[in-house]
Amino acid sequence: MAKKKVEDKNSHNGEYIKNEGESSSNEEEPNFSDPEGYVDDISNEDLLGDLLRDKPKETDGVESVIVVDGVPQVGPDRIEKLKSVINKIFGKFGSIINDYYPLNENGHTKGYIFLEYASPLHAIEAVKITNNYKLDKQHTFLVNLFTDFSKYDKIPEKWEPPQPQPYKGQTDLHYYLLEPDAYDQFCVVKAPGQGQSVQIWQNTQPDPTLLEDRQTWTHTYVKWSPLGTYLSTFHKQGIALWGGPNFTQYKKFSHSLVQLIDFSPCEKYLVTYSPVVEINNPDQKRIIIWDIRTGQEKRSFNPDAPSAWPIFRWSHDDKFFAKMGTDILSIYETPSFGLLDKKSLKISGIRDFYWSPTDNVIAYWVAEDKDVPAKVTLLDIPNKAETRNKNLFNVADCKIHWQTSGDYLCVKVDRYSKVRKEKNETKYSGMYFNFEIFHMRERQIPVDSVECKEPIQAFAWEPVGTKFAFIHGESPNISVSFYNVKIGQAPTLLKKFEKRACNHLFWSPNGQYVVLAGLGSNGGGSLEFMDTNEFLVMNTTDHFMMSDVEWDPTGRYVVTGVSVWKTQVDTGYWIWSFQGKILKRVNLDRFVQLLWRPRPPTLLSEEQQKEIKIKLKKYYPQFESKDRMRQSKASKELIEKRAALMEKFNAYKQERIAEYNKQKPRRLELRNNIDTDELDADKDNVEEEIVEFFVKEEITVID
Amino acid sequence: MKPLMLHGHERAITQIKYNREGDLLFSSSKDNKPNVWYSLNGERLGTFNGHQGAVWCIDVDWMTTKFMSGAGDNTFRIWDCETGTEIGMMKTNSSVRTCNFSFSGNMAAFTTDKAMGHNCEIFIMDVRNVDESFSHADPILRIPINGPRVSAMLWGALDETLITGHENGEIIQWDIKTGKKLHTTKEHEHLINDMQMSKDSTMFITASKDHTAKLFDSDNLMLLKTYKTERPVNSAAVSPILEHVVLGGGQDAMDVTTTSARVGKFDSRFFHLVFEEEFGRVKG
Repeated sequence: MAKKKVEDKNSHNGEYIKNEGESSSNEEEPNFSDPEGYVDDISNEDLLGDLLRDKPKETDGVESVIVVDGVPQVGPDRIEKLKSVINKIFGKFGSIINDYYPLNENGHTKGYIFLEYASPLHAIEAVKITNNYKLDKQHTFLVNLFTDFSKYDKIPEKWEPPQPQPYKGQTDLHYYLLEPDAYDQFCVVKAPGQGQSVQIWQNTQPDPTLLEDRQTWTHTYVKWSPLGTYLSTFHKQGIALWGGPNFTQYKKFSHSLVQLIDFSPCEKYLVTYSPVVEINNPDQKRIIIWDIRTGQEKRSFNPDAPSAWPIFRWSHDDKFFAKMGTDILSIYETPSFGLLDKKSLKISGIRDFYWSPTDNVIAYWVAEDKDVPAKVTLLDIPNKAETRNKNLFNVADCKIHWQTSGDYLCVKVDRYSKVRKEKNETKYSGMYFNFEIFHMRERQIPVDSVECKEPIQAFAWEPVGTKFAFIHGESPNISVSFYNVKIGQAPTLLKKFEKRACNHLFWSPNGQYVVLAGLGSNGGGSLEFMDTNEFLVMNTTDHFMMSDVEWDPTGRYVVTGVSVWKTQVDTGYWIWSFQGKILKRVNLDRFVQLLWRPRPPTLLSEEQQKEIKIKLKKYYPQFESKDRMRQSKASKELIEKRAALMEKFNAYKQERIAEYNKQKPRRLELRNNIDTDELDADKDNVEEEIVEFFVKEEITVID
Repeated sequence: MKPLMLHGHERAITQIKYNREGDLLFSSSKDNKPNVWYSLNGERLGTFNGHQGAVWCIDVDWMTTKFMSGAGDNTFRIWDCETGTEIGMMKTNSSVRTCNFSFSGNMAAFTTDKAMGHNCEIFIMDVRNVDESFSHADPILRIPINGPRVSAMLWGALDETLITGHENGEIIQWDIKTGKKLHTTKEHEHLINDMQMSKDSTMFITASKDHTAKLFDSDNLMLLKTYKTERPVNSAAVSPILEHVVLGGGQDAMDVTTTSARVGKFDSRFFHLVFEEEFGRVKG
């Protein structure tokens, strides 16, 4: 009844408005409809997608009704109690506006009830949560939407198999690894905002070649996946992945206003993070984890406290990922995406944790609490066994550094000798520093300690090998120390360099070579290329205002860049050989970043690699001759190009000279018949000057 | 190669010109006294005293008898080269930005700035006999410019045309007899700082704030070559003996000594005329 009235009113309103319209349509209204024969090239879906979703749909009122089966059958005396229990349980999803408890002839409830909510959304939520809810030992709720019954009733007799979708062949995602000369690719991003472009280059010798150049390919910046298969670009609506020889779009992930992303190490999953809550889409979670190959959303989270990105850290094989919260460590497993053992680990005072790069082991440290000392623990996953514990005293801060091959773990410990509590902050003084080296591969994981009195600026393990290096001291007395670790021994100091102006060090991905860099304005852009086998400085140069240093994945080239995020002038990148020889300087206006395309780990076994190293001398002349040919071809091309330009210009020049000569009489006229075309053309204007100068002295003895 | 330092000006230098035979160097600056020097050893001959504002432009005729200068005191003066005395003066409505003697030395062209209600204008004067009456002399030709102001100017090959470079990068070729535009081209995107003819006047090179210098044909204003840098180019010249061009620039001259050498990068760069490739630099 109520509905009908509303309808009446609407039509009445409509008529009313129409009258209004008629009265005012005396004036010519501009015609807003499309011209005849106009074919819309955008569907309504694209234009008003989200509005269409809110379009009111016809309902017959039963979408908000749920049927609950498995309700205890009670007599009339206990019905009130039953009702209150039901209301308590089901009232959580929305207000119940109607309920019906069917009774049999004795006045007992039949065991199933009908509940109506204010909105269908509440009903759906209720079904989701309470289905299979154990009320008590004998009663489990089986909850369904009322409409489900009619849906399942109406299943057609004939079943038609779904049509096979046409196969969308994937382009070869790993084409770049088959490049015959093993040239790496790198992407250059320039100019955030207007005029933005992303270029993909191949590092061919002698000059890199441009493979792709796309305008506004990304909104903010780009990121390669860890094994180099995909390039991810950022857009307002989400992330897009590109791959294959032509960088065709592989997948799209919609997550509005996404700001940060993280890939799982085996490229199975993608984590996207958008810190702002979007007004149009308030239900969107801030962190979403996607499966890359299917494009499905696997799980989403709303983190409660902001923490350092990446919030989720992955194990090396993608099997687990973990998150740290206040006093808890939550470890999830894939592909179920549920908590390991269905609960998080309570670790009070946990400050930081890292996975080992080769095993499923987590190293975490706990801050000290009054009398309880700080502790570093190694946790084996999935059995959650603590394989090693180390108590540390007088700890202000710790930083965990795993070696890339997982053989060693280094924990940099900041120790204090005095502590003061001021207001609500602890102030440490008299700092000294330790490196605790855990030998992971030895029984019972022995720990060695290396001490350092000066503040540490940077620390890095050699990616392939057994060395580590760190920069310590305060400007101007900055030194770099190199240590070696060996099984069964404490770390030994190999070499210490004093008075270097650097604040970062970058190892080559294959070890042995290292670049000491002074980044930023106080570093001045100093660069030192060092060979750590002999501790020889191969070259010392600089790149003014340098902000980034990137090694290529093979360790052959280094790129230093000045990004527009740091300074406005002189942005660009320089390519160096690993020995510090400058190869190319590219000045790019508003250059943002340069990223090398990563390579997956080599498929060659240890023996194969050793064999190749031994036989290197044999391969060497082949490559030498190839390089030389390429150089000469390049110079030949250049010479040809120049010859062509010269010819063209000379042809033009001859024409003009002919004209010029024709104009000579006019020129003489203008200058009173004095020929001024050449300085010595005018015989009268020439002055002869005789100058004597000393040539030779010869002494002849006259006898 | 050892540079000779010529200290004679108290403020930033605005223009320098050699005479035709190359033995004298004339320089003007924002202090109001243009100087003339011997090129051989850098000894100064003397100054031209009389201007009361920054001298923006100078030129010397082909016989090195007359010298002219235009300044920010809204005057255009002609001087005797040998003695340095002023022989004629003309008042203008705004600063005189560019000035040049014609090939024959019989005519002088100068342009004024756009300022205080007055448009930018091109003047061509007869300078065969200059005396006190010069200030009332009628120009042979007077062209008002309604668009962007003239920032650089050259005489065409046989004194038949005038080529002007404008604030927005446009280059216009004018016919002197009629005062009409013969050719127009807009290859530069920014202010043209300087234009200089090649030795045989068949081509000229322009230096612009848009970080490039371009080589044009002087007859039809066709673009021949472009030389790219990462800094605004203040001036450019074509070598009279070899296939080279030299570009100079970096920043406004007055900022050079007050900023780090790196930031300004005030060097002179040598490019190959045909290949457009930089082959050398000299630090400024």
